[in-house]
Amino acid sequence: MTALVSIRDLSVSYRRDKSEVAALKSVSLDVVAGERLAIIGESGSGKSTLALAIAGLLPRGAKVDGGIAWYLRSQPALGAKAPPSVLPDISPARGEIMLSSPLSPITDIAKEERSAKLPISPLAGEMSGRTEGGVTERQPSAITETELPLLGRDIGFVFQDPSASLDPVMTIGKQIAEVARTHLGFTWSQSYAKAKTLLERVRLPDPDSALSAFPHQLSGGQKQRVAIAAAIAAGPKLLIADEATSALDTIVQAEIVALIQRLVAEDGMTLLFISHDIALAAELAERIAVFRHGTLVELGTTGQIVDAPTQAYTRALLDAHIGLDAEPLLDRSGLRR
Amino acid sequence: MSLLAVSNLTRRYNRGGETVAAVHDVSFAIDPGETLALAGPSGSGKSTIARLVLRLIEPDAGRIEFEGNDFLALAGSALRAHRARLQMVFQDPLAAFNPRATVARVLDDPLRIHGIASRTERPHRIAELLERVGLPVDLASRAIHEISGGQRQRIAIARAIATKPSLIVLDEAVSALDVSVRGQILELLLDLQRKQRIAYLFISHDLGVIRAVAHRIVLLDAGRIAESGNARAVIDSPQSAIGKALVAAAPRLDRTMQDAS
Repeated sequence: MTALVSIRDLSVSYRRDKSEVAALKSVSLDVVAGERLAIIGESGSGKSTLALAIAGLLPRGAKVDGGIAWYLRSQPALGAKAPPSVLPDISPARGEIMLSSPLSPITDIAKEERSAKLPISPLAGEMSGRTEGGVTERQPSAITETELPLLGRDIGFVFQDPSASLDPVMTIGKQIAEVARTHLGFTWSQSYAKAKTLLERVRLPDPDSALSAFPHQLSGGQKQRVAIAAAIAAGPKLLIADEATSALDTIVQAEIVALIQRLVAEDGMTLLFISHDIALAAELAERIAVFRHGTLVELGTTGQIVDAPTQAYTRALLDAHIGLDAEPLLDRSGLRR
Repeated sequence: MSLLAVSNLTRRYNRGGETVAAVHDVSFAIDPGETLALAGPSGSGKSTIARLVLRLIEPDAGRIEFEGNDFLALAGSALRAHRARLQMVFQDPLAAFNPRATVARVLDDPLRIHGIASRTERPHRIAELLERVGLPVDLASRAIHEISGGQRQRIAIARAIATKPSLIVLDEAVSALDVSVRGQILELLLDLQRKQRIAYLFISHDLGVIRAVAHRIVLLDAGRIAESGNARAVIDSPQSAIGKALVAAAPRLDRTMQDAS
């Protein structure tokens, strides 16, 4: 088991009405390369904050402590480096994730290198990283061992509401092609060809005409397929789906889950599946992390979590699931006719 | 006699010059104290039926009888009087309420508008309603935007029962709630049904929840009834294609990755 992302003592708080609200409290968690990991929790559990922190999408002003270390295989553009997993005795570097504007002064070597060679993602906030702590803690080698991921290229992100994540006045084809052009260095015609292939892969009906269609012409499920196509366009290592099926009806939800499962398997991606639905997560994930009030309550294989949870809260979540085999409340309430 | 009888209801929409039937020839009835679920995929017509029954929109054809009256023929004060007996709770109470209004204000409105309690009686009635839905009385002075989603949905239910309805239309009323809160709200709805014999038109995409709380189910597909009957019987053994697809798509804890491997 090799970690793709190693999260250590991560705390995130937001300022709201002049007081600080802790969204994540000292969370440590490894995302194993190639795994399907579900993050589940109710509202306020911190599950979405975790997803945003990993993707480098935390809002400006979020206070972040602790670190997220990445173990990406080197891209040729950055110069060949051995993957950290094969190097002995390397402790993960602590990188504090923060959001910086493209205009902010570049103070970090790793970022300077990156900025020189990589275009800035047009899709979302740029991610930067810097090593944490003073001189004593700093490991000169650590910067090279943990590479900084780029949203769009290394991380694909699928949000709950595809209408909000797609540009309403840009064609479907261009939105996907733009990702390929930005991160893969393709020409526009190559990028459009890639977009068409992707629309076929996400099984959008009539991919040819969909290329020139606008988001409003598609159904909710189709829009989510397009958002997924854009998310995987650059071949990311990690796909984050944050409640990506929650706004869809049950049948479309099952289709999108099956689609994500297939794409993750075909491309060898690591999947982070954020959901409030423990049953849905259990159908898809190999491991489940249960969050509550910003803390990691329990982490285990899906079998352990579902069949033998050790925490009362996990038990409560499982009990609250109303499955098709649950005893009807009507019977318990004496309302059965 | 049925509390609500809907017969041959049809509602068409104009979409790009084309006429599309959102609801086509739909008939069903609800008895007093009964829960009838409407289920189906997006666009199957469930919310359109809810809006027709509430007369938020008018049908192109069909008949709605409510408490023995031709509901579609009612107007003015007669309609207003019947509206008090037919209430609604939607998925997102934050969208249904003025977020800056206080809880007391939200509950005061129906009592005042329907002339249920005098100005001096109303604070007492508001306190009573809060107690009935399991909320502390001091919540009355809080603003809607300050309280939690679960509390807000309890307020929506309190407002719905303020006018002593015989039927409440619940349109995805528990869908947006956390699972721990959802269970409590369902228990509250059943408790009100037991004590006050309220009937529910329960619209949901969640077959597990429907099977737990509904007596009967009407499964819709593309605006038409695909299948109907005892909720447990239909869900345990669906006969229609859409029924089978909905059951197959419902997330199940007994179908985990471990079992698959």
